[in-house]
Amino acid sequence: MAADTFAVLARWLLGAVFLYLGLNKALHPVEFLKLVRQYDLVQSSLLLNSIAAALPWFEIFCGLLLLAGVAVRGTAVMLIVMLVPFTVIVFRRALIIQSALAIPFCAVKFDCGCGTGEVFICRKLLENCLLILFSIWLLAGYGRKLCVRHTLMSCIAKTSLIKEGRSNGSI
Amino acid sequence: MAPDRWQPVRNVLLEALLVAAAGIVLAFGANLVSPRGLVLTRNYFPAGISRPVPAATGAGSPRDSASTNLPAPSPAQMLAARLKEQGLQTVDGRQAAQLFHDLRFQQGSIAFIDARDEQQYRQGHIPGACEFDPYYPEKYLPTVLPVCQAAEQIVVYCNGGDCDDSESAAILLRDVGIANRKLFVYTGGLPEWITNGLPVEIGGRNSGNLRTTNK
Repeated sequence: MAADTFAVLARWLLGAVFLYLGLNKALHPVEFLKLVRQYDLVQSSLLLNSIAAALPWFEIFCGLLLLAGVAVRGTAVMLIVMLVPFTVIVFRRALIIQSALAIPFCAVKFDCGCGTGEVFICRKLLENCLLILFSIWLLAGYGRKLCVRHTLMSCIAKTSLIKEGRSNGSI
Repeated sequence: MAPDRWQPVRNVLLEALLVAAAGIVLAFGANLVSPRGLVLTRNYFPAGISRPVPAATGAGSPRDSASTNLPAPSPAQMLAARLKEQGLQTVDGRQAAQLFHDLRFQQGSIAFIDARDEQQYRQGHIPGACEFDPYYPEKYLPTVLPVCQAAEQIVVYCNGGDCDDSESAAILLRDVGIANRKLFVYTGGLPEWITNGLPVEIGGRNSGNLRTTNK
């Protein structure tokens, strides 16, 4: 019971965090574009622009779904799909900076493009790990309370079963 | 018939695909209608997308040159090398100040172009400099182009250090027909200008609201 209440709070927190981070980037797309560029992920301007243009709004969308409690597990999968590679590339970038500046790893501070400005890398990694853990928790099926429609697929499956039943009956 | 034990997993994955598809469509739609949205087909970095300079600060000391055979180049040195590669000329703080005090600046034969964003420009720019954010050229070119066409020397600047917006602005101006010989990038940018105790103008161009910072 307490676990489920805590999971609802985690869902709201995750939703609010993604909404906030997404809005920060969506309101300053050029700044976000410059930050995405620093990772040297792609060499095509079309791809780079697409990532910088779509990612903030996608995060806002996921944040809203979590806050409302719609397709929670599917959204949790998408958050994990985004967070794990983000964390890896931020970690790699921090290693490059650490080696370039010859400073302790946790003293590396840079704007990772996460929507929070300049942050110390160890803090950022810890935050990301926490967000990934929350996402896994939601994926496991917790946080069902106060959801508009926790599982989208069961609703779709039920509708298709009803349609199937009707068409079988009509033959 | 035994229930398919993989069905719940498939359902979750299918749900994730639905979220992804709907999210991507909405995200691109939102970017399209947003007044600040990016133009997907535009090359915002005409000097190249790759950017090997680590734009970061460390809580510790910078790279110890004694630990390596070669001292690490500063961001400004790397920018100067890149500008040279692009065939762009540079000016230092002393030359920029000379051009600013030159009578030809008042006559319009010398132009200063500020390649930072609107907010930064409003907070302070070189007096008389034109605002030209290279990420929104359609907004600024109609004003900037006649000024550049009339000028014999154009000094483009941004925030110094590893800021390469002045480079993008200069390349953009060259691409729209401004002769390369007229274009100069002030690598020190506004921070150096302020450090040198030169005046900055607050608000719009020629607002007359000048502020001089002491050296």
